Amino acid sequence: MSDSKQATAGIKEQAAWRSKANSLLQNQTVLLAVTLLALGLFFNWGSGGMFLDLGTLGTVLDDWGAYILLAVGMTFVVITGGIDLSVGSTVSLSSVVAGWVMVGPMHADLSITGSAANPYLLLATFICLGVGLLVGAVNAFLINVFKIVPFIATLATMGAAAGMAIIISGGMPLQGPNNFDLGLDWKIGDFQLPISTTVAVVMVITIIAGLFLHKSRFGLYTYALGSNAFATRGAGISPEKQILKVYLLSGGMAGLAGAYAYIRLGAGSPSNGMGMELYAIAATVIGGASLMGGVGRIFAVALGTLVLFVVQSGLLMMQVVEVSPDLKQVIVAILIAAAVAVQTLQNKNGRR
Amino acid sequence: MTGEVIYEIKNASKRYGSVVALDGASLKIHAGEVVGLVGDNGAGKSTLVKVLSGAHQPDGGQMFLDGKEVRWDSPRQALESGVETLYQDSGLAPHLTVSQNVFLGREITMKGILGWFGFLNKKKMEYDAHRDLEAVGIAVPASNRAVSQLSGGQRQAVAIGRAVAWAKKVIILDEPTNHLGARQAGEVLNIIRNAKAKGLGVIFISHTLPHVLEVTDRIVVLRLGRIVKDAPTSEFNGDTLIGTITGTIQTIKVEGD
Amino acid sequence: MKRTTRVVAATAAAALALAGVAAATTPATAASKLKIAFVMGAESDPFFQAMKVGAQAEATAENVDLIWQGDASHYDVATEVPIVENVIAQKPDGLVLIPTDPTGLQAANDKAIAAGIAVANVDTHVGDLSKVITFITGDNGDGGAKAADAIAAKIGYKKGGSYQVVVGLTSATATTNVGRLNGFKAQVAKKYPGIVIKDVAYSASNPQTANSNVKNWLAKYPKLNGIFAIDGTNASGAAAALQAKHLTGKIALVGYDAYPANVALIKAGVFTALIAQDPAAEARLAIKTLVAYIQNKTKPAKRDVVIPNVALTAKTSSADLAKYTYVASK
Repeated sequence: MSDSKQATAGIKEQAAWRSKANSLLQNQTVLLAVTLLALGLFFNWGSGGMFLDLGTLGTVLDDWGAYILLAVGMTFVVITGGIDLSVGSTVSLSSVVAGWVMVGPMHADLSITGSAANPYLLLATFICLGVGLLVGAVNAFLINVFKIVPFIATLATMGAAAGMAIIISGGMPLQGPNNFDLGLDWKIGDFQLPISTTVAVVMVITIIAGLFLHKSRFGLYTYALGSNAFATRGAGISPEKQILKVYLLSGGMAGLAGAYAYIRLGAGSPSNGMGMELYAIAATVIGGASLMGGVGRIFAVALGTLVLFVVQSGLLMMQVVEVSPDLKQVIVAILIAAAVAVQTLQNKNGRR
Repeated sequence: MTGEVIYEIKNASKRYGSVVALDGASLKIHAGEVVGLVGDNGAGKSTLVKVLSGAHQPDGGQMFLDGKEVRWDSPRQALESGVETLYQDSGLAPHLTVSQNVFLGREITMKGILGWFGFLNKKKMEYDAHRDLEAVGIAVPASNRAVSQLSGGQRQAVAIGRAVAWAKKVIILDEPTNHLGARQAGEVLNIIRNAKAKGLGVIFISHTLPHVLEVTDRIVVLRLGRIVKDAPTSEFNGDTLIGTITGTIQTIKVEGD
Repeated sequence: MKRTTRVVAATAAAALALAGVAAATTPATAASKLKIAFVMGAESDPFFQAMKVGAQAEATAENVDLIWQGDASHYDVATEVPIVENVIAQKPDGLVLIPTDPTGLQAANDKAIAAGIAVANVDTHVGDLSKVITFITGDNGDGGAKAADAIAAKIGYKKGGSYQVVVGLTSATATTNVGRLNGFKAQVAKKYPGIVIKDVAYSASNPQTANSNVKNWLAKYPKLNGIFAIDGTNASGAAAALQAKHLTGKIALVGYDAYPANVALIKAGVFTALIAQDPAAEARLAIKTLVAYIQNKTKPAKRDVVIPNVALTAKTSSADLAKYTYVASK
């Protein structure tokens, strides 16, 4: 049948296109990976061999874990063409609420340690997740019902969440049990891996989020909404429902980042999330997501986040040339700008 | 040549505040018929399209699909009942691939637990998209190409092909030949003829009167929210059509069929 | 060192006494309750929360209406100036101002004075203090010096030895940071020349960033002897880092600000010392002095009053710990 012949030809054509499209995609990821490797080697040289050390990599991964949770949620939001400025304040608020529950109703303090502290850790995580989802729901409500643009809607919740965190905490860190024993030492033979249980959990969450973004209907609708909201509605998809889901996701991830901060610092402080939204957005953009919507990949964002914190830690570790903290800020800013410029040029060349 | 009445709207009206956008409009579409819907800007075409596609609810009047009275609460309901709409200039999501666009809102998921989580059967959708587009007469670009990489003509072909492939009863095409070159517009008109041959009722909205005269069986003229003329295309030529639209030719209301 | 503290404390006490006498001798006029506005930097800062507790207590004691104003979280000229303008429009009798910038707030400060409002500066001050009734501050330089002393004591400083310390800052421009760092450096240069300040880094007010900075330092300087965490945020981050790396007690950690959470960590041996300010006392004294001035034009004996910082350690009595621990306002 000529039909099937044509179909075969079409599939061949598809295969050719697929390999081209893949090589393009890989370019972006490969570029980030190469940058990462180069930075790692450079900082290792600059720090007198101390950067590619398990302790230092552990610190970089600690930061990565804190920010990738936000960056993953932000990637979904940015793909829809929105932005979520409330995530940093949500980290503060959720960790403060968890701390308040520990100090207040639970009467739990530093004396609870080891595996006895684990139920508290789990409780704190669920409280944080709940608070995050609540902030996400408010964001979606403002955007869907009052038709407020995401920038302003989330700016409002950013202020409200920060204010509530201060009111609840009195401006001070609330300390609960902070000496957890998760019973996993992350060793292969005698080799100590530079990850903690929390970072490992974050990695799993990131992978699952990536699968949903790239392989599921939820992910497809996220791209569709950012690409063409009108066509999405025309296809019978409710943009409001999708907005709700995406901002719930972002809020929930920010809540988990609050739990992460609580576990890391052993306290819920109203400054735990200070300024984090900006680094989360920067990491997302370095990872190739477009603030115009429709574009972004989780794996690249994960690498982009890693690049950002390799630079942050690397500059502090420099010994061959001491980098002053003021200069460090300037260098990080330049790197963010350069990364975005490279991505933009690449998109221009690739998409034509 | 044309079959039973497939979609009918009776005495529909719609106001936006004090503006009367649609004033007692009645219209019948038969299976295998292409109806041209023309009128000046503000004549009520887009309101009528929105009412027919389920995007807006009329303030008064009735609608019948296959003889049964229907009421659309959402475009989704109309889609599921077999009424497809291609909106002007906004049919596709440029960042998605051809197959993702064709299946948008009607994805094929994997079997089992993954399907329950909404994981998509990408291979099947790519294969089916290619097959379905081909079936309605479109020179198909690769299914996994992003729509942003297609030319304007290719995009419009995919958009219309998508609507025709999915339509079970009626297809509403709002300005499908806008911004297209002559050859590409010709391809679009061919797809419309394919849809007609498939037995679909086609509503073709356009400012490009030669296209309307070329492809339609019947032309309905709207002016100030009212249907002022409803007659077989053979009764019009370019001049009389323009005259009817602008009102320089006086009209008496003619009931279609 | 000790003597300076005593002199300063005596001055403060004298001012307090004078103000107290003045207030007591004034017949209370029930008809016109005094209205005093208090404009501070950022509501989110526990320092200002503790200050609010003192201000509210004193306002109640003096039967004064307190207008407490400030930005929710930004310690910034841009947000503070309009707040001051707004407060002037409410025509208070007195204004306690915490200027976020010496030059940026000068005009607003002078405008209040021109409107007949008695103005006090607390914590930080405007460039020209000539028409201000009183300026009350904690001694950040002295706090930095005390931090140096505490670190030296912990590491067993000996002449001829060589020691490494790092300092965690919030930003290059926070005036309290600058004062404390200068005091710390001066004391090190004067008394502990063997201590080398290897590095400084910024936390940008985020304890997680402070935490990473300290962890990186621990890798970079394997022989690190001490850490000076210059404010509450850095203190929290550094404490968590030492705990995570199982180095508590092995590296001297001196923090700032007596958050209850951090005071608890003195007992746990995480902090060698916490330098505490007494913001509530600053606020109480400011309101007391203003009331005295408004009611019978009594100016304080000395315009500038410095309330010293104290070093809280494991040896500090629990009564003193309780006294200096920050309390959240209601």
